[in-house]
Amino acid sequence: MSIKSRPLNFIHDIPIIKTKKFWDGLNEGKIYATKCKDCGKVYFPPQVDCPKCLKSNFEWIPLTNEGEIETFTESHLKPQGFTHYEKPYIIAIAKTLEGVKIMGWLEGVEISNVKVGMKVEITSKTQPDGYPVILFKPKTT
Amino acid sequence: MRRVAIIGVGNSKFGVRNDALIQEIAFEAVKEAFEDAGITQKDIDLSVVGSVGTRLYEALPAVPINEYVGLDGKGPIRVEAACATGSAAVFTAYNAIASGYVDTAIAIGVEKMCEVDTPTSTAVGGRGGNYLWEFHMFGTSFAGYYALYATAHMSKYGTKEEQLAKVAVKAHKYGAMNPKAHFQKEINMESALKSRVVCWPLKLYDCCPISDGAAAVILSSEDKVREFKVEDPIWIKAIGFSSDTSNLVRRPDYVGLGATVRAAEMAYRIAKITPGDVDVATVHDCFTIAEIMAYEDLGFCKKGEGGKLIDEEQTYVGGKIPVNVDGGLKAKGHPLGATGCSMIYELTKQLRNEAGRRQVPLKRNIALAHNVGGTGHYCYVTILER
Repeated sequence: MSIKSRPLNFIHDIPIIKTKKFWDGLNEGKIYATKCKDCGKVYFPPQVDCPKCLKSNFEWIPLTNEGEIETFTESHLKPQGFTHYEKPYIIAIAKTLEGVKIMGWLEGVEISNVKVGMKVEITSKTQPDGYPVILFKPKTT
Repeated sequence: MRRVAIIGVGNSKFGVRNDALIQEIAFEAVKEAFEDAGITQKDIDLSVVGSVGTRLYEALPAVPINEYVGLDGKGPIRVEAACATGSAAVFTAYNAIASGYVDTAIAIGVEKMCEVDTPTSTAVGGRGGNYLWEFHMFGTSFAGYYALYATAHMSKYGTKEEQLAKVAVKAHKYGAMNPKAHFQKEINMESALKSRVVCWPLKLYDCCPISDGAAAVILSSEDKVREFKVEDPIWIKAIGFSSDTSNLVRRPDYVGLGATVRAAEMAYRIAKITPGDVDVATVHDCFTIAEIMAYEDLGFCKKGEGGKLIDEEQTYVGGKIPVNVDGGLKAKGHPLGATGCSMIYELTKQLRNEAGRRQVPLKRNIALAHNVGGTGHYCYVTILER
């Protein structure tokens, strides 16, 4: 036997002023990382403060649109916020030519045909619900 | 630093506990721990409450829990280290005693996870990484994170789905002998391999359940062990700790947990032991792949040979290194904040020779608890000795 709690809904307004270039890039199919102007360290996910040299002088660098799959899974779980997505989705981690690792959804291939080491094209798209996503597609050579 | 002993342990029944509030479940564990130690609340100087609490309606769970179990004024300190919260609570209590600041402390690990629906619970878990760069865009979940490790491990070392299933079969065998376990039913290879895909390559029987439960550990200084006339104290030899990046993309590879390797090195060094000295271990098997990686990262076998270790049944009672003979997170259940304390509960019973049908043969009287928070975001390795 139980009683219902009072509802409590959270929807956060997340500041992206400092990483606007990254979010704008997603609208153009480009993935941006940051690079510390003082020590040269590259950050992905992008961050504007450098814990290595404690400076905040950075520049934006576009990543190449080619990568190689390091690992992947197909999610049949639908967490709250994703319950309206009809099909299972493939989450993968790819390494770009410059050695930066990024997470993305892999589309255009069946899970049974995905292999570690597979070459992918890196792009992005906006989901029908308005949320952007980094996208990997099998590279056709 | 003073020596610190475990003088009392308690563990509630784990499972879907829709019969009780969080403080009522905590009471079950605390009551058992007090009876086990033969002391009462007046003997406690400090209470540490470990609860992740992100699924609760209660915003500050430590306070109502402390009140309900009669520990007003004795702290509380609330700690959080994701799924390693219980170990962080024990570590906090240990430090307070070892430093000489207090003489006797209780670590209470407790979690209620089944009061919200599964998509909500999955989303809360999936946010346990780096929300903006993982969950927000990609709908990650805990099964998903560990599936990324499973794929990489299988690809690099040839680890098989059958070997993952063998870990689940072992867990259920011992869960069936543990009256505190969420699942007390044996399973076979066929049912494990045929269970539905959750996050490929992980299937339902590769995943621990969503559970409610509590466990409590009472610790004291050597002086108090004598004063309380504790007959069978279990000593904490070492606690190693480490952590790793929140973003999985900032890790070098996905075939092991760096936090485990570093925490284990620290614990072995302080305890002056090697992996071969351990009689019995509880490892963090939230998913079957996590147990295989733990065998390797803790040094129970070489890197990449975790699958072989379970093939050879070396982690059963009677094997080279019995692991999770309480059913593990997989069958006993994984109420986040409770798990670390529950590992200490099991190992204390084992070292006292009180584990009944699940008792391992003791040679050196040394046990090891390995508790991971998140996907290797936190790790504690605790070494006990009788």
